[in-house]
Amino acid sequence: MTPTEKTSKKLAKVNGEICGICQACATVCPTNAIDVFEHYIVVLPDRCTGCGTCTKVCPVEAITLVKR
Amino acid sequence: MSNDDHILIVGGGPAGSATALAARHEGAEVTIVDRKTHVGIPVQCGEAIGKTGPGIAEIEIPEESIRVPIRGFRVYSPALISVDFAEKEPSGYIIDRRVFDKELLARAAESGSDVLLGAKVIDLTRKNGSVDGVVVRHNGARKTIKAKVVIGADGVNSEIARLTGLRRSFKPADIDSCYGYEMVNCDLEFPDLMEFLLGSELCPRGYIWIFPKGEGRANVGIGIGGGFGTHTAQQYLDHFIKHHEIAKRQLAKAKIVECRVGALPVCGPNEQNVVDGALLVGDAAGHVHPITGGGMGYAIVCGSIAGQVAAKCVSKGDVSADRLQEYETKWRKRYGDEFAQSLKLRDLLIETEDQTLDKLAKIVTGDSVVKMASARKVKIFAKAMATRDRKLITLMKELRKLKMV
Ligand SMILES: Cc1cc2nc3c(=O)[nH]c(=O)nc-3n(C[C@H](O)[C@H](O)[C@H](O)COP(=O)(O)OP(=O)(O)OC[C@H]3O[C@@H](n4cnc5c(N)ncnc54)[C@H](O)[C@@H]3O)c2cc1C
Ligand code: SF4
Ligand code: SF4
Repeated sequence: MTPTEKTSKKLAKVNGEICGICQACATVCPTNAIDVFEHYIVVLPDRCTGCGTCTKVCPVEAITLVKR
Repeated sequence: MSNDDHILIVGGGPAGSATALAARHEGAEVTIVDRKTHVGIPVQCGEAIGKTGPGIAEIEIPEESIRVPIRGFRVYSPALISVDFAEKEPSGYIIDRRVFDKELLARAAESGSDVLLGAKVIDLTRKNGSVDGVVVRHNGARKTIKAKVVIGADGVNSEIARLTGLRRSFKPADIDSCYGYEMVNCDLEFPDLMEFLLGSELCPRGYIWIFPKGEGRANVGIGIGGGFGTHTAQQYLDHFIKHHEIAKRQLAKAKIVECRVGALPVCGPNEQNVVDGALLVGDAAGHVHPITGGGMGYAIVCGSIAGQVAAKCVSKGDVSADRLQEYETKWRKRYGDEFAQSLKLRDLLIETEDQTLDKLAKIVTGDSVVKMASARKVKIFAKAMATRDRKLITLMKELRKLKMV
């Protein structure tokens, strides 16, 4: 377990069925925890602090916080 | 790509292709890498572009990408007071971005640039602190590509901006969260005007657009300030389409044939876009108008400047930040004031209540809206004072401090 995983109780989760890969979430993530690819995006659990910033900018509510 | 004496451009969007074309024009060796295998897709854009931005001269808008000529716009204030601007001749176009981006990239390749698709840049390499290449993931393997200059034309979520430290992350309010549709069977009232709608309830810190695409088709979308409002961009747009009278008049029979999301940097350019051996251009540099959200024209002009300067620095054998700074100076000379003033104007307008915007709409002409958006002074002060509206007068005094009225 990485230090982030120990301290944060929450984690961002992407619903790939809704996400349109606009990258809004990735641009505001303070820890660079969202990796963008051509057809999907990935939240890196060891970097995500569960701060929820990404959820504020998603145009379609495709990224939400869940319990670790 | 055998020699490392070339300019490596990260991103094959409008900024990257324009940079490549200009650098090839100066005789430099150029490689473009893009993580996508299809540039321009998915489309995340309103697809409006001015006909002749200064400097776009050599980079013409690909004819096959043009959907309709546009003569101007109509802006609706929150209470639907309209301000029109229409010229006799077309001043711009609505294009098809999937054709546009691909065609510009094709031209860059035809001009002699190498193109490597499906290659995602994940790191930079450095020599004595100066950037001298990138690490990409391509076909599942890591690979290093050396270069004389690395150009970050990699869009709003620029990895090159992060890796060079020129920009870390945005605050939510720095970006617009966007959603849109391509629609058919539209009954547009003005098939050659762009329509914009404002209103704090309708679209918090942003606007809704209806852009004609010809033959009853339209690009309909919304941008809202990141973290603003109580709903998502999609929810605001759907509500508009279903309930708003302007939408009911024009979109009642319309059908959605494409859904789009997007993110737009609207906080003005980065403070600095140059380091030893690398520079940023386009959305990566924040080359987007803070009010209109337009970015393609700036990406192309700034890309042309970047390509010219980078090629010159490579041929002279000095790619230090001091030398590359010529790019920063040149693009700022052209657009620096426009971005800075528009940002201040935008911030003033956010604070302005809907009712005051309505009053403003009554006294401005389309011509003054165009001038204000390009940071030129307009003569509306006396008219505003004559309304004796306290809030409008306060707004005017603030605008006067900015030397805008
Ligand atoms: C909803 C919306 C509506 C808009 N409407 C308009 C409009 O009507 N008119 C207008 O002028 N502008 C508009 N814009 C802005 C315009 O789309 C952008 O300013 C423009 O696309 C910027 O071009 P660019 O080349 O800098 O970046 P992009 O077009 O984003 O291109 C960046 C490229 O870099 C690639 N890339 C990213 N990261 C990497 C990496 N790590 N490795 C390799 N490649 C990478 C991407 O795959 C992409 O191909 C709109 C934007 C949005 C979101
Ligand atoms: S919750 Fe915070 S740290 Fe995690 S991905 Fe979202 S913005 Fe990044
Ligand atoms: S903001 Fe939403 S739609 Fe955009 S990339 Fe992130 S999860 Fe996907």
